[in-house]
Amino acid sequence: MQVQIDHQPSFAWLKVQLDPGEVIQAEAGAMVTMTPGLPMSTRLNSGRGGIVRKFMAFFVALVRKFIGGETFFVNRFGGQSGGEVVLAPALSGDISQITMTPATPPIIIQTGAYLASTGDIDTKLRWGGLRGLFGGEGLFFLECSGNGELFINSYGGIIKVQCNGSYIVDTGHIVAFDADLNFKIKTPGGGMLGFLGSGEGLVMEFRGQGTIYMQSRNVSALVGWVSPMLPM
Amino acid sequence: MEIEVKYRPAHSLGVVRLGAGESITAEAGAMVTMNDQVQASTAARAGGKGGLLKSLKRSFLTGESFFTNKFTGTGAGGEVTLAASLCGDMAVHDLVSGEELMIQSTSYVASDSSIDLDTQWQGFKAFFSGESFFFLKCAGQGQVAMSAFGGMEVVELDGDMIVDTGHLVAFTSGINYRTTKPGGSWLQAFFSGEGIVLHVSGKGKLYLQTRNPSEYGSLVGTKLPPREG
Amino acid sequence: MQTEMLQRPDFGILKVIFETPGETILCESGAMVSRSTELKMKTSMRGGILAAAKRKLLGGESIFQNTFTSTAPGQEIYIAASPEGDIESMTLAAGEEFYLQSGAYLASDSSVTLDTKFGGFKGFFGPGMFLVKMVGPGTFWFNSYGALHPVDVNGVFTCDNDHVVGFSPGLDYNVRAFGGMKGLFFSGEALVCEFRGQGRLYAQTRRGPNLAAFLHPFRPVKQSNND
Repeated sequence: MQVQIDHQPSFAWLKVQLDPGEVIQAEAGAMVTMTPGLPMSTRLNSGRGGIVRKFMAFFVALVRKFIGGETFFVNRFGGQSGGEVVLAPALSGDISQITMTPATPPIIIQTGAYLASTGDIDTKLRWGGLRGLFGGEGLFFLECSGNGELFINSYGGIIKVQCNGSYIVDTGHIVAFDADLNFKIKTPGGGMLGFLGSGEGLVMEFRGQGTIYMQSRNVSALVGWVSPMLPM
Repeated sequence: MEIEVKYRPAHSLGVVRLGAGESITAEAGAMVTMNDQVQASTAARAGGKGGLLKSLKRSFLTGESFFTNKFTGTGAGGEVTLAASLCGDMAVHDLVSGEELMIQSTSYVASDSSIDLDTQWQGFKAFFSGESFFFLKCAGQGQVAMSAFGGMEVVELDGDMIVDTGHLVAFTSGINYRTTKPGGSWLQAFFSGEGIVLHVSGKGKLYLQTRNPSEYGSLVGTKLPPREG
Repeated sequence: MQTEMLQRPDFGILKVIFETPGETILCESGAMVSRSTELKMKTSMRGGILAAAKRKLLGGESIFQNTFTSTAPGQEIYIAASPEGDIESMTLAAGEEFYLQSGAYLASDSSVTLDTKFGGFKGFFGPGMFLVKMVGPGTFWFNSYGALHPVDVNGVFTCDNDHVVGFSPGLDYNVRAFGGMKGLFFSGEALVCEFRGQGRLYAQTRRGPNLAAFLHPFRPVKQSNND
């Protein structure tokens, strides 16, 4: 399999050349172009696991499909014949490749950040906590582990920071982080006025040692910016 | 006439330098700045052939008509800058006589005023989203500026390719397309998120954009406050 | 403090590294991306309550601003605007002024002042678009939707209204309708700003109302109460 990320850093897309027998899995709707006849199948991204996980994933996927937003359906490209497929996310921004091995620690990603993966990567749906509800950022995270390549997309460019003790990130700007990090979802600070008026959404306060991937733009902020300009 | 594209690929601006008497036709609303050696004409509805004004639906869902402005240089150093609505790239295609360029209507930015713009309805409707895609046909000699939502990818096609409909910007004559479904079934077409796709074949230049406006619109749009029905 | 502007012009983001305790940066509310936990954060209303309320009512940007103060060296903060676009900094000498479209203000140091009571704009700049006056001494950062396109005006120059980001006081300006486009385009009249004189103009290569018009059909439809 050969992969190439072009049009970085602002409108990155992922070009994949598949040999016969090779497969890549991608978020539903991500296909831009593909070789005619390349086998494509659709299934739920419920990762490994039993019927309960599949049911939960299906329910959430259906809800999200109808209310809009990332679904958990994935397409698998490739099979007997090889071919080329090009994948792209919906938002402007970058794509990063993360190599996962059984030795590397699991990584937690925002569900919207999942673009594609190869090999044997397990994706577990994790509940972000009720407070995530009020932030409007989405309730779920995906915990990824295993063996293979993981491709994540960001809204805007990606900035990697090392948490060395403690670090605060606005929830809408989080792409991914090491699963080893502890985190708490909090109000941004500055007191009560701070919460109501600061304009910030909720923040995540990380504690521990690990890598955090941030994105330089935030969909909620975009919504806030564009809403006053909308016609009735 | 010279067209220089600045701030690629995300926030492209077409800087057009016009000599005295040179004209560029641009989509209405594309002008950003203009110096004092340029005259702008009133907006005209781009017409089809045979004198009958056929308005081309520019926007998928609002069905707005396609209007253009004409900018003419009045001195030696006329400059007008043009931009598309959404973020993204811009490319200039040098059209030669005998060749035709089919541009997806929302990607058209501007063209040398001597180029013939056929706004006759040609296109198709996507199955699930109900969007309509319309193409503009350009013929003649001169420069055509097109915008991409995302980055612009130029493919020298010789063969065939499946292309997600929202990613098609333009193609030269010699390339044909037909609509098809991506996998085996319509159910899969729905769940796969792809809907209808295009099977593109032939030999020529294919312009693609690396982002899909409707996918972007749906993702952000559903988070916006509701509107009156 | 050390400042660095990254990812220009596509997704401009400001990185600030504080060098000593007690250093301050002010920013537009909602602009913080991330920060060291130990930074002190204070939220206040910008420009006084009346000016703020007026701006908010007319659909402008937020009325709040955040002040971040360092408590130790090496602390950092990342600040970014909401739309996709560019950022730039400007340092003004004492008394030097610059007019900025209010939505373009991103951040500033503690010495520059933002005059919001400055009401002096002629003509209509569009919903929620006010001019604010930045007065030195000090440094401020501003952002755009799209890339920033600087123009050194010397004579007469026209810029579409919604593409104006900021300009120096030496320029005279006049807002007028752009011939022949009455009622056609998106939200209505196309307005242009005609500048005369000598000075610097910053234009942006995209306009907000276009994005709003594009997204409008994708909005959920209000459910009526009586079916």
